[in-house]
Amino acid sequence: MTDHWERCIRLKEPLRTKPFKIFVGLAGFAMLLGLLREVSGLGYVTGLNDGYAWGLFKNWNVTALTALGSGGYAVAVMAWIFNERKFHPIMRTAVLTSLVGYGTGMISLGFDVGRPWNFIHILNPKTWNHHSVLLEVAVCMTAYVILALNFENMPPFLERMYKSGDPQRSERALQIFHYMQKSFPFWIALAFVLPSMHQSSLGSLMFLAGERVHPLWQTARLPLLYLSMAYILGFACVLLVLVLSTYVWNLGWDAAILGRLAMVMSWLTLSWLVLQFVDLAYRGVFEMAFAFDRYSLVFLAETILLLVPALALQVEAVRSRPFRLFRLTLLLTIGGLLYRFTPTSIAFIPLGNYTYFPTVIEILMSVGFTALAVVIFLFTVKRFAILPASEGKIASEAAIRPFDTL
Amino acid sequence: MDVNRRDVLKVLLGGTAIGAVTASTAHVAQAAPDKVEPLEDAVGLLYDASKCIGCRACMPACQNANGLAADRGSSHGLYMQPNNLNSQTKNLIKLYVAPDGHERSFMKQQCMHCVDPSCVSGCPMQALHKEAKGVVGWDADLCIGCRYCQIACPFNIPKFEWYRVNPKIVKCELCRHIVGKTQDQPACTKVCPTHAVIYGRRSDLLAEAHRRIQENPGHYYQDRVYGETEGGGTQCLILSRVDYAKLGLPPMGPESNASRVRRVTNVIYQGFLTPVVIYGGLVAIIRDRWKDHLAHVAHGREKNQSKGAQA
Repeated sequence: MTDHWERCIRLKEPLRTKPFKIFVGLAGFAMLLGLLREVSGLGYVTGLNDGYAWGLFKNWNVTALTALGSGGYAVAVMAWIFNERKFHPIMRTAVLTSLVGYGTGMISLGFDVGRPWNFIHILNPKTWNHHSVLLEVAVCMTAYVILALNFENMPPFLERMYKSGDPQRSERALQIFHYMQKSFPFWIALAFVLPSMHQSSLGSLMFLAGERVHPLWQTARLPLLYLSMAYILGFACVLLVLVLSTYVWNLGWDAAILGRLAMVMSWLTLSWLVLQFVDLAYRGVFEMAFAFDRYSLVFLAETILLLVPALALQVEAVRSRPFRLFRLTLLLTIGGLLYRFTPTSIAFIPLGNYTYFPTVIEILMSVGFTALAVVIFLFTVKRFAILPASEGKIASEAAIRPFDTL
Repeated sequence: MDVNRRDVLKVLLGGTAIGAVTASTAHVAQAAPDKVEPLEDAVGLLYDASKCIGCRACMPACQNANGLAADRGSSHGLYMQPNNLNSQTKNLIKLYVAPDGHERSFMKQQCMHCVDPSCVSGCPMQALHKEAKGVVGWDADLCIGCRYCQIACPFNIPKFEWYRVNPKIVKCELCRHIVGKTQDQPACTKVCPTHAVIYGRRSDLLAEAHRRIQENPGHYYQDRVYGETEGGGTQCLILSRVDYAKLGLPPMGPESNASRVRRVTNVIYQGFLTPVVIYGGLVAIIRDRWKDHLAHVAHGREKNQSKGAQA
C-alpha cells in the first residue's frame, strides 16, 4: 500500500529519548574537546603533520559531508526548475538536512584553522586573494548558509511564531512571510548558484595540488565530478533520512516520491560513472584502475559501491521495498562519500615519509559534529512541521494553513 | 513569460556546458594566455649539487639568521640533526644514496620561490604573496592557518607549527628581513665554502648554470637546469649529476598548477559572468514556477474549504 504525502507535520513524539541523549552527549563531548583544541596546538589533539596537513575535519566533515548536505539543493532543482510538484512536501526535510550538514561542516572548519582570529580579515575584501579557490569556497559556503539556507528554513519557524497566541507576534510572522513570498525567486536562485559554485570549487581545490593527487583522481574535470557527486549524495541523504523517518515514526510510504528520488539518483550515478571512465580513458590512465595496487583497489571499491546500487535501483520491485531501498542507498552513499574523501586523503601524496591516521580525539570530534547535526534535526522535527505525511495523518493534526505554500 | 522544460534545460545545461565542456578544451589548449613570466629583477639561488661537500654550514647559518632553535632530532640532543624540513628548519642538506651505493648526491632543500607559486595562488588571504624581486613571503597578520599552502606546494615546503596555540607557517623567505639591509645576500650563500649555492638575479644564475653545462657537457643530468621551466619555472635553480626526481624534485611540465587552475576557473566563470547569467535565468524561471505554485496552493485550499463546508 502506498500513501501520498501531502503536507508537513510536527512529530508529536517525546524529544528526550535514549538515542537523542546519546547524540547530545557525543555532540557536547565534541564541543568540550573543541575547547581543548583551541587552547592547545593542532598537533597535540590531531594526527595531522607536515605531509598530511588536512585531515578528518576538512576532508571528511567539509569536503565529503557537505556533499551529503546538498539535499536541499538537489531536491529544490527537481521541485522548482524541473517543476516536479510532488517534491514540494519533502522540501522542508531536504533543506533542513542541508542546514545541519553545512552548519556542522562550518563548525568543523572553525576548529580546524590554526589562526582563527585572522578570520576577521574576511570582512575586508581588499585582503582577499581573488585567485584563491579556497577563498571562493569559504565565502560562498558562508553566504549559502547565512543567506539561502536560513531563508529556506524560515517557514516552519514563522509558523510557530504565528501560532504563539500573541496577536502581535502572529502579525509579525505574517509580515515576514509576506516579504518572503515577494522576494522568493531571488533567494531560491541564490540557493542554486552558490552551492554550484562552492561544490565545484571543492574539486578545484585538489586540482591545484597537481602531481600530489594520484592520477586516477587528478583531472581538470574534478570540479564537474565533485559537483555532480554533490547532487547524487544530496538525493541519497534525503532518501536515507526519509526512509528512516518513515520507519521510525510511521509516516506512511509515498512510493511516487521515494521511487522517483531513487530513480533520479540512479540515473545520475550511472551518468557520473560514464563521465568518470571517459575522463580516465581520455587522460590515458585507464589501465591504472586495474593495476590492483592500493589506489586501484580504492578506486574499484568506489566504482562498485556506486555501480551496483545504481543498477539495482533501476528495478521497480527493488525501489518499492523499504529495506532494500535503504540498504542500497546506504551503499551508494558510502561509495560517493569515499569518492569525495579520497582525493584529499587516500590518493594524496605526502612527498616524504609521512603517515596520517586520525587520533581518538579527532575521531570523537568529527563524530560529535555529525551527532550535533542529528540532534538539531531531531529537535527540529519534533518542534516544527518538517517531515511529510499523508492526508490521514494530517487530519489528526491541527494543520497550519497560512504557510503551507512552502 | 512562459518557460518550458526546454528553456530550463538550456539555462542549466548552458551553465554546466560552459563549465564542463570548455574546461576540457581549455585543458588541451596549447597556449597559456596568462602564463606568468619571471620578474626582470627576480632573485634566487643556484645550487650545484656536484659542488656541495655536505658540510651543512648553511644550516646553522640559516637558523641564526632566522632566529630558529636548532632541531636536534635523532642526535640525542647533541647537535643539530633535523630529519626533514619542519617548523624549526627552513633549509636542509640531505644525502641521496642509490640502493646499490654507486650513485650519491647532496641536495639542498628549501623554498624554490616559484615564478607562479601554487601557495600564493591558493592562499585565501594574501598571507603568502610575492615580494619585490619575486621572493615568496609570508605575512603573519593575514594567515588564518588553513594550511592550503601545504596541500598545494608541489615540493611540500611550507611547514606549520603544529604544537603552538599561535602557529606560524615556516618556510625560506630568502632572508628578506636582512638582504639589502644588513647584508647583501642570504645567510646560506654567505657561508657556503665551495660556492655550491650562490645568490643573484635569476637571469644571471640561469646564464651561469648554462655556462657550466656547456663547459662540462654530460656532467649534469640530461644537461639541463631544474627550475628553468618546471612548474612554470622557479627562482631557485638546481644543477645535479643525479636524476632530479631522485633528489625529490618532481618532474613537472612547463605550465604551473596555478595557471592550470586559473585557466579552468576562468573558462567556467568568464570573469563572474557565468554565475550572474545563470542567476538571472534562474530568477526568471523560478518566478514563473512560484506564481504557478501559489495558484495551485490557492486552488487546493478552496477545494479543502468546500469539502469542509459539505461535511
